[in-house]
Amino acid sequence: MIDADRLSKVYARGVYAIRDLSLKIDKGEFVFLTGPSGAGKTTFLRLLLREELQTEGRLMVHGRELASMSSGEVQTYRRSLGFVFQDFKLIPGKRVFENVSFVPRVLGVTVEQQRRRAFQVLKWVGLQHRMSAYPHELSGGEQQRIAIARALVNEPSLVLADEPTGNLDPDLSLEIMNLFREINARGTTVVVATHDRELIRRVGRRAIALAHGSLTEAV
Amino acid sequence: MLRALTYSIQEAWESLGRSRLSGLVSVMTITVALLILGAFLVVTSNLQQLLAAWQSAAEISVYVADTISPEQRAALDDLLAGSRAVASHEFVSKSQALARFRAQFADLAPVAATFPHNPFPASFDVRLRQEARQAQTVDSLAASLRKMAGVSDVRYDRVWLERLLLTLAALQAMGWVLAGIVVVGAALTVSNVVRLTCYARRHELEIMRLVGAPMAYVRGPFVMEGALQGGAGALVALLVLWSGFAFIRGRYGEMALMALGIPELRFLPVQLCIGLVVGGMAVGCAGGLVASLGTEAGEGLVSAAPVAEAQATH
Ligand SMILES: Nc1ncnc2c1ncn2[C@@H]1O[C@H](COP(=O)(O)OP(=O)(O)O)[C@@H](O)[C@H]1O
Ligand SMILES: [Mg+2]
Repeated sequence: MIDADRLSKVYARGVYAIRDLSLKIDKGEFVFLTGPSGAGKTTFLRLLLREELQTEGRLMVHGRELASMSSGEVQTYRRSLGFVFQDFKLIPGKRVFENVSFVPRVLGVTVEQQRRRAFQVLKWVGLQHRMSAYPHELSGGEQQRIAIARALVNEPSLVLADEPTGNLDPDLSLEIMNLFREINARGTTVVVATHDRELIRRVGRRAIALAHGSLTEAV
Repeated sequence: MLRALTYSIQEAWESLGRSRLSGLVSVMTITVALLILGAFLVVTSNLQQLLAAWQSAAEISVYVADTISPEQRAALDDLLAGSRAVASHEFVSKSQALARFRAQFADLAPVAATFPHNPFPASFDVRLRQEARQAQTVDSLAASLRKMAGVSDVRYDRVWLERLLLTLAALQAMGWVLAGIVVVGAALTVSNVVRLTCYARRHELEIMRLVGAPMAYVRGPFVMEGALQGGAGALVALLVLWSGFAFIRGRYGEMALMALGIPELRFLPVQLCIGLVVGGMAVGCAGGLVASLGTEAGEGLVSAAPVAEAQATH
């Protein structure tokens, strides 16, 4: 599914954010990406989102080399991804339901389908009763569940999450992780970046540890 | 494609509702640009009409002495009839000339009544052929007319009419250049206003980019917003122009018609009005498109941000 081969990413000032990184993640896996702040977790996810291009090496997803994609292919590729961020990235001016249905809407899905899918995922994260609230009216945990609903609305084959529980307390964090486990149980590949080792221990899945952009020993 | 259009219109409409003030600025610059262009067009088209009226009016007046003999008059008549430059000619007698004066200047009728005898000379009104309307042809015709016995004076307004035509053409060219400059200015203003929208919609844009939304969805709303602003600006411009035109016609219309001798003051033809609206929308579209080009790499968002914040604090 994901195949990184001797991958390096150097930002403008000559800092190696990722250095000579080789790893494989199989289809249907649930993997944690861990390491201290500055280890390169976000950079790796941004390479996977194709928000950044690597400096050296190769990164393949679904058997396709990301760097060689045309902009049209990038659009198509991104439609197969779901993403979740630490700061939720909900659209402040839109209601919960519109936030979720926004994704199928801008992908040209019919209004009927937009509604059906948005309602389905909102029900799945247990927030269908907050449909007409605005994001700022929700708690952090609720906002992140909305963001997860949005990530799922397009039925992605790969879900990427960057510190999804960074702003949440431990109980809520575990709740969010349970959602990811459920997503994974339905066959979706899930990659979660977190520096929270305690959380990883409690969830108990494979963890890839990074330090200074390279692999360190697995936890 | 239809869905992208619906989406663009919805988002553009929402955005216009959100940023009323800056939208107003956009609409106003388009209005000013098209107002200048429109006013130029109205004025020059009426001037053209006026010149056309003058051109088809008597172009050479051959005044004859009161003492002219019937033979001399017949010779003059033959000369005019035989000239290839002349389209038609007509004899106007002394009494006809007086009657003409009375009809054209009704206010002065009492004055005319006090004349001891008819002061108006008889004349031939000569219209020239279209193809003979060059200064040389007219000059040589006038010269040979002057040499005829019984002719007291030959007057023609060809030369200054020609100059007037040249001036009008120069005026029109200037109008287009001026309008071109203002239109570019308006497009830049629209583009900057739409960039503010980029900032307001930065969350949407980021999500759209990340989920791989097609370009039609990313750019459509900006282009549509520009088009709506441009169209609104054009409509306002037409409205203002028409009000101004109606006011002037109501106030000075009759006078202008009398003094200048044109059938009526005309507003812009419908096709040109539609053209102006379409043009306004096109200018808006262009502005919106330019603004949206920066959104692709997300660079537009970064550079638009300080502008938007500076605006927001006002
Ligand atoms: N846009 C950027 N420009 C320059 N350096 C960056 C940029 N993003 C990240 N870095 C640097 O790359 C390294 C890895 O950062 P990051 O991937 O954010 O790590 P993590 O998410 O594990 O905290 C850090 O040293 C960081 O300062
Ligand atoms: Mg990070």
